[in-house]
Amino acid sequence: MAGRKGQTRREFLQLMAGIGSAAVWVACSGSAVQTGRTGASAPAPASQATPASAPSAGGAPSGPPIKIGASVSVTGSNGRTGLYQQEAYQLWERQVNARGGLLGRPVQFIIRDDQSDASTGQRLYEQLITDDQVDLILGPYSSQVTQAVANVAEKYRYPLLSAGASASEIWSHGDRRYTFGVYSIAEMYFTGVLEIAQRAGYRTVAIVSEDTLFPKSTAQGAAKLAREKGLQVVLEEQYPARVSDVSSLIQKVKASGAEVLVGGSYLPDALLITRQAKDLDYSPKLMAFSVGAAMPDFGEALGKDADYVFGPSMWEPELTTPGNQEFVREYIAMHGREPDYHSATGYSACQVLEAAVKAVGSLDRERIRDWLASAELETVLPGKYKVDATGMQVGHEVLTIQWQNGSKVLVWPPKYAAPGATYKLPTPPWSQRA
Amino acid sequence: MEGWALTLVQVAISGVLLGAVYALLAIGLNLIFGVMRIINIAHGDLLMLGAYATFWLFTLWGVNPLLALVAVSPGMFLLGVALQRVLVDRVVGQPLLSSLLLTFGLSSLLTGLALNLWTANYRSVPAFSGSLVVGGVAVSIPRLIAFSVALAITAAVYLFLTRAKLGKAVRATAQNAEVALVCGIDVARIRLLVFGLGTALAAAAGALLAVIYTIYPEMGRAFLMKAFAIIVLGGLGSFQGAFLGALALGVAEAFAGYIWNTQIAEAVAYVVFIGVLLVRPGGLFGTSE
Repeated sequence: MAGRKGQTRREFLQLMAGIGSAAVWVACSGSAVQTGRTGASAPAPASQATPASAPSAGGAPSGPPIKIGASVSVTGSNGRTGLYQQEAYQLWERQVNARGGLLGRPVQFIIRDDQSDASTGQRLYEQLITDDQVDLILGPYSSQVTQAVANVAEKYRYPLLSAGASASEIWSHGDRRYTFGVYSIAEMYFTGVLEIAQRAGYRTVAIVSEDTLFPKSTAQGAAKLAREKGLQVVLEEQYPARVSDVSSLIQKVKASGAEVLVGGSYLPDALLITRQAKDLDYSPKLMAFSVGAAMPDFGEALGKDADYVFGPSMWEPELTTPGNQEFVREYIAMHGREPDYHSATGYSACQVLEAAVKAVGSLDRERIRDWLASAELETVLPGKYKVDATGMQVGHEVLTIQWQNGSKVLVWPPKYAAPGATYKLPTPPWSQRA
Repeated sequence: MEGWALTLVQVAISGVLLGAVYALLAIGLNLIFGVMRIINIAHGDLLMLGAYATFWLFTLWGVNPLLALVAVSPGMFLLGVALQRVLVDRVVGQPLLSSLLLTFGLSSLLTGLALNLWTANYRSVPAFSGSLVVGGVAVSIPRLIAFSVALAITAAVYLFLTRAKLGKAVRATAQNAEVALVCGIDVARIRLLVFGLGTALAAAAGALLAVIYTIYPEMGRAFLMKAFAIIVLGGLGSFQGAFLGALALGVAEAFAGYIWNTQIAEAVAYVVFIGVLLVRPGGLFGTSE
């Protein structure tokens, strides 16, 4: 008997050692798979539109192509959103070449996939600048990736129009000279939502957010704006980026009795929170998400469950800003779907870059940088392009949308809303919405 | 009931519902270890495959996840049997490191394949939604459905292990493979069966999780850790331990998420794992069954 027990104990200890080392491996190898497969990403189709169509003002572009490099998040947690930005770049490339190119030369985009990962993006831009020797660059998607890429831009002195990022940290150091914002910083995203909440007489707000750069910035901004408007912030909490389950968090919010729920999120978590809120029968009077709520994908994924949800938007298709209706039309013709505001911000960056190159008359990056720092111009986005001394965008105006009966309605500010369109409050409980 | 008490009940129920799904994963891992003395690091990735299979059936052909489960489980059972025959059997009886390396390799292969084929984007199977409000407590319907199915499967496995002749043979092999062989049990066949069964259970857990959560190719790692924590908590080799340990972990995570925050909730499995090993390595229900 003693002999048998001894054998079992040794086996047991061996097993524990095995599980222990396995556990260490499991814990450590978290991001290994993700970042490991980097270099294999193929260069995206850098299509060069043939100027064979109707001769336009500038005539056919000729000569060596002007290469513009960028990475976008085509896959990964921000894949759906990054794709919109890439499509905008591709549309503008085709249009500018049909107009005679830039400085008479054809424009060629080199777009790579950074898989929504900051270090991958950083590496890709270094490659674009040093290996591919691009003349100019345009920004990636998400503040997290842009923050890393901005360092590359500063190092190599390439002006970077940040087409897909708006966290104020990117500019708050004040020592970046080459990075320029294209739309409002994250902290201002919930201006309209909180304005509406205040007018509706709501007093309590719960603010939840993903614990990455951009969502946290929108949440911090929301907290500040809420307090400025006299609302009480009863709960402020973060959840991890790859969260699969927020039910405990929702129960906490429910218990806090907050009338307004503000979520600093991207699309996947916005969907998750809404779904799990329904599953737990939690329906705040006003619910808003920073990213995701304004994307068509939100309504498609949730159907009627998306109704009453608010979201900030940097742009909407019905605007009559310069070139906007044409942009929407040609985007649909080229890509088969409507652009969302991430497409528009990408496109706006292209418009600004084009204006810069034309104004400067060359590809001199220092002069382009100087021009970008002081210019004011209108693009497809509401408001105008104008940056402050740190490069942060201050001319753009944030819009607020609300889902009503399965479609997105622009409800704030009133000057951009369609006549008669306004917000609907309060949100009815789930049981009354079937 | 008081407001706060109601909330506590709600959190606890949430945890228990989820725990039953964890149980499927843990029971499978437990069986594989019990019979083959192998730590299956690819176990979480088998769960991931089950989740994706359910997702694609739902997305491409609108198959209800519960129906998909009926198709996916046997399919994964066969996959498990094939894996055991071709790969895993080579390391049974070998030093522990061999099985760790083999299953680790398998895990990386599966995760890599999934990333390549299906991209890193998040997916979900929103087949069920809504909540059932009972006495002021809101119970998530998707979770309730997942719980019921998981419970039914667990009960079926339990009955199999205790009543069916083949099930008893499995337990006998787990107790002592040499003696079982001498008694006339076809141990090699039992190993095939058990790995297949473990894989099918993991896939079923994945199918049910796809209904409640969002899924992505690397999800296997996180759930594998939970399964480890559970079988250590419940006691290696103990079926009841695995089941109760799973419920306990579900509840612990739910409360941790409520009292502190979601980040802490994700750490609970690791804390339990280390804590149990330090304080009571045998787990709640001791060793060999």
